[in-house]
Amino acid sequence: MTTRRHVLAGLGAAMAASALSQSAFGAPLEKVRALGVLRVGVYKDNRPWSWSDGGKLRGIDVDLAEALAGELGVKHDVVEFMAGEELSDDLRNVVWRGGLLGFQKCDVMMHVPFDRKLQIDNDQVVLLAPYYREGFAAVCGNRQADCEVPPAQFQGRRLAAEIGSIPDMYLVGGFGGVLREDVKHFNTGYDAVAAVGKDEADVAVATKAQVEAAMKDMANPAVKRRKGPLQAIMSPGWDVGLAVKDDSRSLADAIDAIVTKLATSGRLTQIFAEHGVTWQPALQAS
Amino acid sequence: MKGTLKFGMVGAAALALAITSAPVAAEDGPTSADLMNDASTPGDVLTYGMGPQAQRFSTLDQVNTSNVKDLVPAYAASLGGEKQRGQESQPLVYDGVIYVTGSYSRLFAFDSHTGEKLWEYDARLPDGIMPCCDVVNRGAAIHGDKIIFATLDAHLVALDRKTGKVVWNKKMADYQAGYSATAAPLIVKDMVIYGNSGGEFGIVGEIQARNVDTGELIWTRPTVEGNMGTLNGQPNGITGKTNASWPGDMWKTGGGATWLGGTYDPETNLIYMGTGNPGPWNSHDRPGDNLYTSSTLAINPDTGKIVWHYQTTPHDGWDFDGVNEFIPFDAKVNGKPMKLGAKADRNGYFYVLDRTNGKLVSASKFVMETTWANGINLKTGRPNFIDANRPGAPNGSEKGTSVFSSPSFLGGKNWMPMAYSKQTGLFYIPSNDWGMDIWNEPIAYKKGAAYLGAGFTIRPIAEDHIGALRAMDPATGKIVWEYKNKAPLWGGVLTTAGDLVFTGTPEGYLKAFDAKTGQELWKFNTGSGVVGSPITWTQDGEQYVAVMSGWGGAVPLWGGEVAKTFKEISQGGMLWVFKLPKR
Repeated sequence: MTTRRHVLAGLGAAMAASALSQSAFGAPLEKVRALGVLRVGVYKDNRPWSWSDGGKLRGIDVDLAEALAGELGVKHDVVEFMAGEELSDDLRNVVWRGGLLGFQKCDVMMHVPFDRKLQIDNDQVVLLAPYYREGFAAVCGNRQADCEVPPAQFQGRRLAAEIGSIPDMYLVGGFGGVLREDVKHFNTGYDAVAAVGKDEADVAVATKAQVEAAMKDMANPAVKRRKGPLQAIMSPGWDVGLAVKDDSRSLADAIDAIVTKLATSGRLTQIFAEHGVTWQPALQAS
Repeated sequence: MKGTLKFGMVGAAALALAITSAPVAAEDGPTSADLMNDASTPGDVLTYGMGPQAQRFSTLDQVNTSNVKDLVPAYAASLGGEKQRGQESQPLVYDGVIYVTGSYSRLFAFDSHTGEKLWEYDARLPDGIMPCCDVVNRGAAIHGDKIIFATLDAHLVALDRKTGKVVWNKKMADYQAGYSATAAPLIVKDMVIYGNSGGEFGIVGEIQARNVDTGELIWTRPTVEGNMGTLNGQPNGITGKTNASWPGDMWKTGGGATWLGGTYDPETNLIYMGTGNPGPWNSHDRPGDNLYTSSTLAINPDTGKIVWHYQTTPHDGWDFDGVNEFIPFDAKVNGKPMKLGAKADRNGYFYVLDRTNGKLVSASKFVMETTWANGINLKTGRPNFIDANRPGAPNGSEKGTSVFSSPSFLGGKNWMPMAYSKQTGLFYIPSNDWGMDIWNEPIAYKKGAAYLGAGFTIRPIAEDHIGALRAMDPATGKIVWEYKNKAPLWGGVLTTAGDLVFTGTPEGYLKAFDAKTGQELWKFNTGSGVVGSPITWTQDGEQYVAVMSGWGGAVPLWGGEVAKTFKEISQGGMLWVFKLPKR
């Protein structure tokens, strides 16, 4: 919220007053341009997409939000929010209603799966601009040198996964439960992968982006990524996009065009690479 | 018992404190001994539950079955502002003041003769916290010069009861998504007892005891086996036995939150605290009983250790949270007087236990239907599970088989407290008849990533009602009478020596029933749904009844068929006080 106040202070008192009254209502394109600010919501503790680094927000989604605002010719106001129990909670709190305790709605929410069923179930928002193809990956190190064995053979090694994630359910529930006793839980997939780099785990399963970013940061050549598929994992992958309120289609159209431009120009590849992640175009990219 | 209360605390530090604090005079406010005696002092309401046993029974009979029809409002007081959400609070009354908490972590003091507002405290909450289930609060605790309540950002706050100024403010936990501190604190032996979440990942249930004068932590007791408790900052033994009923390191993330608080029985010197359901949701991933989730725990307040446990839903797979209140009462079983306790569980069964040791005495169904179990085995104390009605394990990326389950995960009874009449010997249970279709959802998302969730639809199972206020005879397990309500019941119950039972409805009524027959004798529409807990007390020779009005809580979050029963109900935020007209 200090970011928000800071941005408003720069605009002058009259503008700030008007911003406060209007920002309660998600701003379509004209309003964003008139206010001169794009308010963007990003997940808290979601490395490498968005996380707080000593009070400063960093990450792919943060950089992309700044690029979107830059292309629109406005300032950016990137705010983090805590993930709810399910994605529809986040859409309600961040995009179409706002938080019950004063969290102001954002013009755009980053990192929303671009999924037909999610769109149907949440008709108060528009999902748009898929900008990455996500999926799951595994890394090995320490006592598990061979990363290509069938996962059931990881039995007895220290396995790492984010609490409640698909990798968690894959490891504790799959293969007849033979790996269940070996799973160590972490708050994030990034932390699970980093644990292999620190010899606190032998195998980690996490999202591709978490794996690639953590491998770059740990710079441990002994940690290897699995090349083969993770047999029978519950998700084939998904596209990651953005969400705006359903009355903000003019803003959606503008952002769609900007994301296409950033993809074509190589800017997306560059932003992702700065965080160690290889950009993969979404399957449903426009 | 009274004389020893102040010195019953364990540890040199606690003892020193008890000695150095000045003797408490009556004008200095209620002592711990006064709180223990609350059920016998009808001139005040000092505790959540109208006594530490939370029987919600008043000895007053000035208002009774013959004259309750004449009950009229004495005054009403608005909580004001735009913050009109669920008002689930139970008021306290002391020294001419009504203290009541409101939605959004507010606390109000009103003159108990006129309803005039004396002061209001609004907690400053960080805007980034997003509670899962409305922004309710269930009530405060009073002790000495302080009034204490929990705020949504997981703080305990003690206010000067005369001025509303903060005396101390302690953070209990790091706020987590889906977490909310909404229960009323329990005060035992000058300690504030509060249910919380903690552990390495902040999601394991934990009970905390704090010094009532300073808010400093005295002991913690995790509710899931394998986690270490503390006493005065030192390790105080692991809960249960690590990995006895949990695989791997899942006990670190096992759930079991104690979000509804507890009751206390001075006779056995035990705190009774219910625990939430286990995680992860898919029970097939955590073989074992998953102790001590979905249980009632009996804890010694002097040591912070678990004396006994009784698990109502071992290896839960339906989200049958076990947090419901355990109410101590005395009765004869087969002609023998016994110290008992009763709990109406989310899972649809009403349990009577020996409160000295946690042994099951009886278990009876109090809802229309329980699909998950066919009774409770009295020998083993375990449910007779119906395995076919346990939601299945996810199968790859396929949608799992849908199972119909009754009660729904909102429970045969949710948070709203029941009452026990010493006069009729009956428990009055605010219950709901509803079921759910539940299945594993192959394409769900959480925190921007693919996730395997549970999909569910809650639906009514009867034509004419969801809510049902039921009078349960604990001796026979039979329902003596029931009152059916179209919308789900979501408020607490009060019973009196005037042979009355009071409870509110989402439709806006506070209603009074004949405690013996269930006949509806009086109702008054408060203008918004009633989801709070009514109280009664006497002042200037007249009996008063008070309740909060203000629709909200978890029910309005669910759509579908259930929502049709309350779609016309408006929000509110009002304290209503009633009495008989002067003759």
